[in-house]
Amino acid sequence: MSLVGIIANPASGKDIRRLVAFGSVFGNQEKVRIVRRVLLGLVAVGVERICYMPDYFGIVERALDHIKVPATIFPANFSLKGSQEDSVRAARIMREKGATCIVTIGGDGTNRAVVKGSGAAPILPISTGTNNVFPSMVEGTIAGLAAGLIAMKRVPLDESTFLSTKLEVLVNGNVVDLALVDVVVCDDLFVGSRAVWDMDKVRQIFLNQAQPDSIGLSSIGGLIHPINAEEPLSLCLELGDGGRPVTAPVAPGIIKQVFIKGQRIMQMGDEIAVSVVPSILALDGEREVEIRPGQQVAIRLEKDGPVVVDVKQTMTAAMKNGSLLR
Amino acid sequence: MANMSFAQALNDAHKLEMERDPNIYVAGEDVGVYGGIFGVTAGLLDQFTDKRVRDTPITESAIVGTAVGAAAAGLRPVIELMFVDFIGVAFDQLYNQAAKMKYMFGGKAKLPLVMRACCGAGIGAAAQHSQCLEAWFMHVPGLKVVMPSTPYDAKGLLISSIRDDNPVVFLEHKLLYGMEGEVPEEAYTIPLGQADIKREGQDVTVVATAQMVNLSLSVAEKLSGDGISAEVVDPRTLSPLDEETILESVRKTHRLVIVHEEVKFAGSGAEIAAMVAEKAFDYLDAPIIRVAAPFTPVPFSPTLEAEFIPNEDKIIQAVKTVTGNPNVA
Amino acid sequence: MSLTNEQMIGMYANMKKIRMFEEQVAELFAAGKIPGFVHLYVGEEAVATGVCANLREDDYITSTHRGHGHLISKGGDIKLMMAELLGKKTGYCKGKGGSMHIADLDLGILGANGIVGGGPPLASGAALASQYQGKDLVTVCFFGDGAANQGTTHEAMNLATCWKLPVVFVNENNMYGISSCTLNSMCVADIADRAAAYDMPGVVVDGNDVVAVYEAASEALRQAREGEGPSLIECKTYRHKGHFEGDPCVYRNEEELQEWKAKDPVLRFEKKLLDMQVLAREKIDEIKDSIEKDLAKAVSFAEESPFPDPSEIIEDVYTP
Repeated sequence: MSLVGIIANPASGKDIRRLVAFGSVFGNQEKVRIVRRVLLGLVAVGVERICYMPDYFGIVERALDHIKVPATIFPANFSLKGSQEDSVRAARIMREKGATCIVTIGGDGTNRAVVKGSGAAPILPISTGTNNVFPSMVEGTIAGLAAGLIAMKRVPLDESTFLSTKLEVLVNGNVVDLALVDVVVCDDLFVGSRAVWDMDKVRQIFLNQAQPDSIGLSSIGGLIHPINAEEPLSLCLELGDGGRPVTAPVAPGIIKQVFIKGQRIMQMGDEIAVSVVPSILALDGEREVEIRPGQQVAIRLEKDGPVVVDVKQTMTAAMKNGSLLR
Repeated sequence: MANMSFAQALNDAHKLEMERDPNIYVAGEDVGVYGGIFGVTAGLLDQFTDKRVRDTPITESAIVGTAVGAAAAGLRPVIELMFVDFIGVAFDQLYNQAAKMKYMFGGKAKLPLVMRACCGAGIGAAAQHSQCLEAWFMHVPGLKVVMPSTPYDAKGLLISSIRDDNPVVFLEHKLLYGMEGEVPEEAYTIPLGQADIKREGQDVTVVATAQMVNLSLSVAEKLSGDGISAEVVDPRTLSPLDEETILESVRKTHRLVIVHEEVKFAGSGAEIAAMVAEKAFDYLDAPIIRVAAPFTPVPFSPTLEAEFIPNEDKIIQAVKTVTGNPNVA
Repeated sequence: MSLTNEQMIGMYANMKKIRMFEEQVAELFAAGKIPGFVHLYVGEEAVATGVCANLREDDYITSTHRGHGHLISKGGDIKLMMAELLGKKTGYCKGKGGSMHIADLDLGILGANGIVGGGPPLASGAALASQYQGKDLVTVCFFGDGAANQGTTHEAMNLATCWKLPVVFVNENNMYGISSCTLNSMCVADIADRAAAYDMPGVVVDGNDVVAVYEAASEALRQAREGEGPSLIECKTYRHKGHFEGDPCVYRNEEELQEWKAKDPVLRFEKKLLDMQVLAREKIDEIKDSIEKDLAKAVSFAEESPFPDPSEIIEDVYTP
């Protein structure tokens, strides 16, 4: 029997970007409503088992309060930490239980955590966070239908999904973390309030995806050399005085001129050293890794990133094979 | 001197004080464009702009609380609580914050703030817009409680209240707003804590507040024809209470009637009666009588409301009882 | 907005001072030397420290029943605080206020407050005074998760945004109002969500990370100071002690406490500064020694000070 996972991050959409930038406010009540629509979409195409990440707010439980869902719905069983570790563990449990699609509701940071545990299970990321590049703004009902079609294998995976690449963080030769969108090297000592908004501190940017129409630091690359998530390429930018100017939307409502001193295309397997030590690495928009004095740090482009559901392609495939014509 | 209504006298006090001191601001529900529900703040917005005359949302806790914070930080707020009955939703900011700050902080804080509010029955406004609650405020150390009965007193007492460095609750009986009287055009003060003998007399002391002062004066006039000489004392400030003026009057007349519109039980008259019993018991020739409202919420229907509010007959009856004067049968 | 080493060390020393002050208070309370209740700030030091590191001496704060940390961070004198806690005449309030009512208007401290939700309207009022007088001062309103459900808090926020007052509401969400867990007392998990209702920015930060708090407060205070209006910062934190000293804490479990102790804001920042070679072990010992000496002086000052004379009872009710 098909199993779909739901990971809704109660903490996404509330960080300091509402203060330092003009980030959207995304309350948990709205996440509850999205999950409700996802659930209804899932069962409409016949999904029978749904495993969800429990959370301190109870997003999925609250979503179930007002609807009848003819499916077996159960929480991934682990002890909550109230941190991104919860998303990793939930994804791992879902993968182990055989989930054939995982719907995520959160931002780039949420998906980065999920990917650490989801393995080869396709993920369908719904955006709620702010500087989101990886997940897309997709209507919950449609996301539910698409995830259900994927999970039930009612559409061909190769037409409906793509394999994303990823960036790995190597410290003294060991992989310590990963990023789906970008790695930003900040001349800073603290993870602090996590977001990155002070461009004066940004020295180096590694971009796994970069679109001219995206928001956040990846837009800088997007305006120079666009790269798709599935392309086996990354872009490494060096920022600093005297470089070539780019005017980019670095955060919601914040458009800044930055100066690119150098740029390099990374091929699959390429590794580039982090130029500032000590420093803080922001992964997918959140200051995350502290680089201490004396550490050797590099970023590597790797191929085996997550399998990502493309909702539009999925629904197009469903149209073509008549999955919903009944 | 000019002939002014009670409301105009209050308006004049605001205007003169605001011209004198730029740190005074006025805030409350409908005090700006509307000019106050009874017109007390009319015209202030035009003269002083919306920086100093601030229409607020319906948010009594914040009206009172911001005034307390602003006073602690150097301003001199004069706020209007549209009806004193609304204090319930804001009381903490007044009695736990404003009133206690100075004491709790070891004497350091200075809280120059005036909270004006209308009170009293008589217009069919029913139980939540008609109360007299002065005893509540009197019971709180740190507050001053002022309750004028004439346009002259209203202006002088409000100016004193605004200049006072303590939180002052300034209670305006709504039936008095239209009352007219001679009022000096310039600024003047009437010290807080000073009662006024509104009519001198020999046989009985009638201590009355607000609208009841006027009823008592009318009664005194009527009784004089019956050979009873009543002295009418208006405390004007209930806290601090001018005990000496009341005691002096009682020592002279040996009889005391207290008239107020609050409910009798645990009303302000209870404090005055107890004070006189403690300090001038030997001078009393008759038990003290209080004429006050029955222990009910203020009723709506005209017949019931009329029954609720002390009237001249009840005052006459009380005076008759304490004087034992057969001429007044 | 980079923190200098001096600022970082200053923030560390302040957190350490709060921690050691509170531990000293706990000891004195246990010894029966402090009357009444004390509500200790142990575990929440990063909030007051990170916020107040952005304040000037003439800025204002309103505090709560758990106020010692705010007072220390705003420059309060621990000698006068200690004397007040012991009910002495030489204390901040001449022994008339105690732990829940310490204030120092000269330092812009508008008082700890015994009423949950008592402070927010006062904070908006102080901010109104600054705006009215054209001063570029800000007011910080510290309030707890309990106060987040009080009407006064919402009225204060509403008026603050209507009037664009220079106030920053800093919520210290330590998850419990005495025994009531926030999960049972509100239908949002994040108090910051409520900011949207007042059209002000609302953000969640790790309240046990002094730099995270500092960064958020820095931006919020800048906006307030420049006339851009109020904001709400929710700091997720935890009190290591009970609601008050002597609280048996039957409403929470040891595992939860240990999880939060592992995120101890003082130890965490100390380790970070050591790792980053901002602070050497010897310097830490030096800071500790210096606080210890000051505390010893504060305690002996408090203990040696006289109690107020009973005749002082009626003084200070009114300003003459």
